[in-house]
Amino acid sequence: MKSTQYSEKTLDHFRNPRNVGTLEGANVAVGRVGNPVCGDMMDIYIKVTDDDRIEDIKFQTFGCGSAVATSSMVTELVIGMKLDDALKVTRGDVADALEGLPPIKMHCSNLAADALHEAIKNWREGVKPEDATQTRVDKSCHPRPAEVVKVEISNLADYVGKGVYTQLEDLAELAGQRVVVLDTGDAAAQKAIDLTDHTGRVVLVTTGKEPSVSSAVRSALRLSDVKLLTEAQPLELKGEGELERIRVHDLNEDEEYELTADALVVLE
Amino acid sequence: MDVTYADYQSSRPVDQRVVDAMLPYFGGTAFGNAASLHGVGDRATAALEDARGRVAALFGAEPREIVFTSGATEATNIALIGYAQRNRRKGDHVLITEAEHISVLNIAKYLEKNGFKVTRAPIDLYGRVNVKKLRARITDETILVSVGWASNEIGTVQPIQEIAEMLAGTGVALHTDAVAAEGLLPIDMKATPVSLMSLSANEIYGPRGVGALYVRAGVQVAPVLLGGGQERGLRSGTEDLASIAGFAAAADIMAAEQPAEVARIRALRDRLVGRVLAEIPDSHLNGAPIDTPYGRLPNNAHFRFDGVEGEAMVLSLRDLGVAAATGSACSSKTLEPSHTLISCGLLHEEAHGSLEFTFGRFSTDDDVDRIMEALPPVIQRLRALSPLYKTHSPA
Repeated sequence: MKSTQYSEKTLDHFRNPRNVGTLEGANVAVGRVGNPVCGDMMDIYIKVTDDDRIEDIKFQTFGCGSAVATSSMVTELVIGMKLDDALKVTRGDVADALEGLPPIKMHCSNLAADALHEAIKNWREGVKPEDATQTRVDKSCHPRPAEVVKVEISNLADYVGKGVYTQLEDLAELAGQRVVVLDTGDAAAQKAIDLTDHTGRVVLVTTGKEPSVSSAVRSALRLSDVKLLTEAQPLELKGEGELERIRVHDLNEDEEYELTADALVVLE
Repeated sequence: MDVTYADYQSSRPVDQRVVDAMLPYFGGTAFGNAASLHGVGDRATAALEDARGRVAALFGAEPREIVFTSGATEATNIALIGYAQRNRRKGDHVLITEAEHISVLNIAKYLEKNGFKVTRAPIDLYGRVNVKKLRARITDETILVSVGWASNEIGTVQPIQEIAEMLAGTGVALHTDAVAAEGLLPIDMKATPVSLMSLSANEIYGPRGVGALYVRAGVQVAPVLLGGGQERGLRSGTEDLASIAGFAAAADIMAAEQPAEVARIRALRDRLVGRVLAEIPDSHLNGAPIDTPYGRLPNNAHFRFDGVEGEAMVLSLRDLGVAAATGSACSSKTLEPSHTLISCGLLHEEAHGSLEFTFGRFSTDDDVDRIMEALPPVIQRLRALSPLYKTHSPA
């Protein structure tokens, strides 16, 4: 079966998704699951009545056809339901309601049900929406401090002068290269921004959910062409003779992957 | 609904002139087996050798250097497996690149399982092989290097001339999968000393199910399919004369029309890239910039859009009558994003947001307009659904 061989019902929910959006207010909780790295990420917002009923529900989803359709379907299934009943809605229920999903896409229906369950859990534990959607840009002027994980790249020293820069004066040296800058504060972030004048590819890597920079630099970053990679912990450098790849630990998904790069800037 | 077809990299329509040229070979007295000794067989032999000469001419090859196959995949199997096995006593190392087509990657895995060492040379930001790093990976055991002429995905053209000249005379053979470049770039075996080259008829608007392996005179290859010993023993099985005649007709047409056709296709592509980047915020072109002379295939436009996923874009465009492709994991059988995009240095979330348009002989200005009618609202709608987009927008 082709991975896009969707039922008419699934296509309908993809084309005309129900309950798209966000909710605000005192009786609202959010569940976020997935990760852009995996290609699916969804937020489900629930508004809960005094007698534990889902009064309103909205979603936002980044993902493929079935990720959107399953999100839409789960909101339709549980609207008006008691929380205890909504917790019993499974991934299978979502897939069944959509008249089936291609086997390879079953994980998407898993995510939609998980996001709902996460929202209910957050509601019961009193987790505020802004804390539940941590990678969202903080709307307030008081961004939470980043969670700092110590970066210790096991073989950093081996690549100094072979793609690793602990100081960098002549930015033109990195023209046309894929540059990864480790988030070590304002100076590093500013260097990343300046580098975009010299190369089309600059990634600022931070272990936190936000880079550990001042709000002025944060705004400048947002307006720049610097690509932000959050919750990522560089572990090890790879390459024959010169830096070619960086092994990265995805702290959100607890998975490892490799990022291709020609240069790594670790300002001291 | 009329479909705006902008996925020429995956399949091309057969030119009607090619269909007409094939028809005589299904019946009458032109259907014969070239191995037969009677007149019908002789007519088939003459047609087969005539076709071989015409296909060879398009690529600057000698007729005896062309081996007809069932397509480029089979040609690549013979080139890599057949060459590696035949030349094993010289060494056991095969070098490929990170930008190769899936068929090369999977054959390389097969070779690894059968005792060969396989190394992949890295590519740069634009998907181009770094020749210095490629050369650094050649060892005394290296017998074969395989570098695609161009990427069917992001359209990046490889420095084949430079690599071929570097390897010429060293005893290390160079194979190139030239499928993505066929009909779009000049390919001349007299000028470029590659040893082996995979070709597909469909890429030049011929039928599917037929292709060729170019084998430079003197290059030793073992067959992977055994039988009656047709095609100099390299590809057994009675030749598919109608398809081969179609391949030859397609080659004739391409030889006559390629310069004008490429200029026209390039103009369409340039217009699409210009409009997308100007009219859709937070859109990016993957691969090499369009203004490098031969850095990028002239028919290829490969984008990514912040905050949206590729399969969702392709499905939405399908509803609006536009046929496009994506390198997103969600559209693949393995749920892995495009290895080429990852090797270029893109993050997974960026590779998931890719969308590819490829033009060809029957593309028109109207197609570009129809894509630009459909695409901006699709991106806008999916971004409105996306929890990621706000994060990226400079609001």
